[in-house]
Amino acid sequence: MSILAVQAEPGEFPEIRLDDLFEFPAILFDGTVFAFNRMGLLYLLAAGITIALMLGAFLNAKVVPGRFQSAMEAIVELIRNNIVLEVIGPKGLRYVPLLGSMFLFILVGNLFGITPFINMPANGRMAMPAFLAIVTWTVFIAAGIRAHGLRYFKNALIPSGVPLPILFLLVPIELVSTFVVRPLTLAVRLFANMMAGHILLAVAFLATNAFLIDVNAGFTDAHFFVNGALSVMGILTLLGSVALIGFELLVSVLQAYIFTILTAVYIASSVEEAH
Amino acid sequence: MDPIIVAVEDAGGAYGVILPAPGELLWGAVAFTIVFVILSKLAFPALGRVLDDRAAAIQGKMEEADAKLVEAEEARRSYEASVADARGEANRIIEDAKVTAEQLRADILTRAEAEATSMLERAQADISAERDRALQELRTQVGALSVELASRIVERELDTATHQTLVDEYIQQLSSQN
Repeated sequence: MSILAVQAEPGEFPEIRLDDLFEFPAILFDGTVFAFNRMGLLYLLAAGITIALMLGAFLNAKVVPGRFQSAMEAIVELIRNNIVLEVIGPKGLRYVPLLGSMFLFILVGNLFGITPFINMPANGRMAMPAFLAIVTWTVFIAAGIRAHGLRYFKNALIPSGVPLPILFLLVPIELVSTFVVRPLTLAVRLFANMMAGHILLAVAFLATNAFLIDVNAGFTDAHFFVNGALSVMGILTLLGSVALIGFELLVSVLQAYIFTILTAVYIASSVEEAH
Repeated sequence: MDPIIVAVEDAGGAYGVILPAPGELLWGAVAFTIVFVILSKLAFPALGRVLDDRAAAIQGKMEEADAKLVEAEEARRSYEASVADARGEANRIIEDAKVTAEQLRADILTRAEAEATSMLERAQADISAERDRALQELRTQVGALSVELASRIVERELDTATHQTLVDEYIQQLSSQN
């Protein structure tokens, strides 16, 4: 008997298929581009929580802050001082709202992966990281054009002081690395980390379920030692899944931070003087 | 048909995981756009305002503290000045008193000396007058006695005026001899 959607025969390890973990049928508007499924719900929930956190902290902000306001201020200050000012400098302060929104929205979405009853990171599907990467891509190109006009593309593609023949090699590399690889890696890094975490957690939970519950469901004295050994395995995977939740917490914060700081780095490389 | 599309449709799983689903992309875009618009229109400006207020409050408090410090310094200085004034005043009063006392002493001394001198002079004058008077009386009596004596001795009657002249001459003679 299994409490999970993934079914397995008693005593057998369940077969985990990606479809089972990542297939979400539409709830509304099925078959259209507006197809609204569980992920759409999670995105809106993440948006709602992010907005609630920020407005709750700052809409009636006090000059002498309470604990919650202080905590939220610390997060914004992390973005402002440790990311924007450090990476872009004072002229990057206009990007604080964007980077702050990104960081919090990604963080809340990531934490859904270890939130009970949700258990699915919003960024564990390609859609959200892809859209955020498109935002980053658009913003850093726009920032470059804003700072240097169309000369930005020349600056980005043609490093100064490089002999002409090398340019034939270098320009395509720069073109691909700046305008293709940057958004792609940004999206894939976030998505793959969160998806991998989700799979790891699923495996750990399913293994625990299989070794502790399914195996012992058909318990007889004839299988005493085998069942005992498998139960010990189940305890280990249970402890492992607790550790993994802690690990995922770390990964959630880290990936949100990395996405945000890389966006800042790309904006900085666009607005800085020609190199 | 495009082989990749076919593969996506056939494989479902793997490609379905890698490629973003259009519906999810759309709702993700909607969700993040809402977040960004609301946060950049409401939350971040509100935070900026409160940070400005806080900076202003801290600045104000610091300026107030500086002003208080200056005020306290001023108060201390004026207090010290008044203490110094009082001390000077006290010294002046003491000096005055000393001078006054000295003058008083000198006055009293002078007056006493003058009085003593005048008393002495008066006494000497008295003494001298007494002596003159006694001398005069003595002369008169000596004259009368001498006349009586002489008249008795010589038994010759002489008028009083001649007697007096004789006696005066005699005494004058005696005085010049002395």
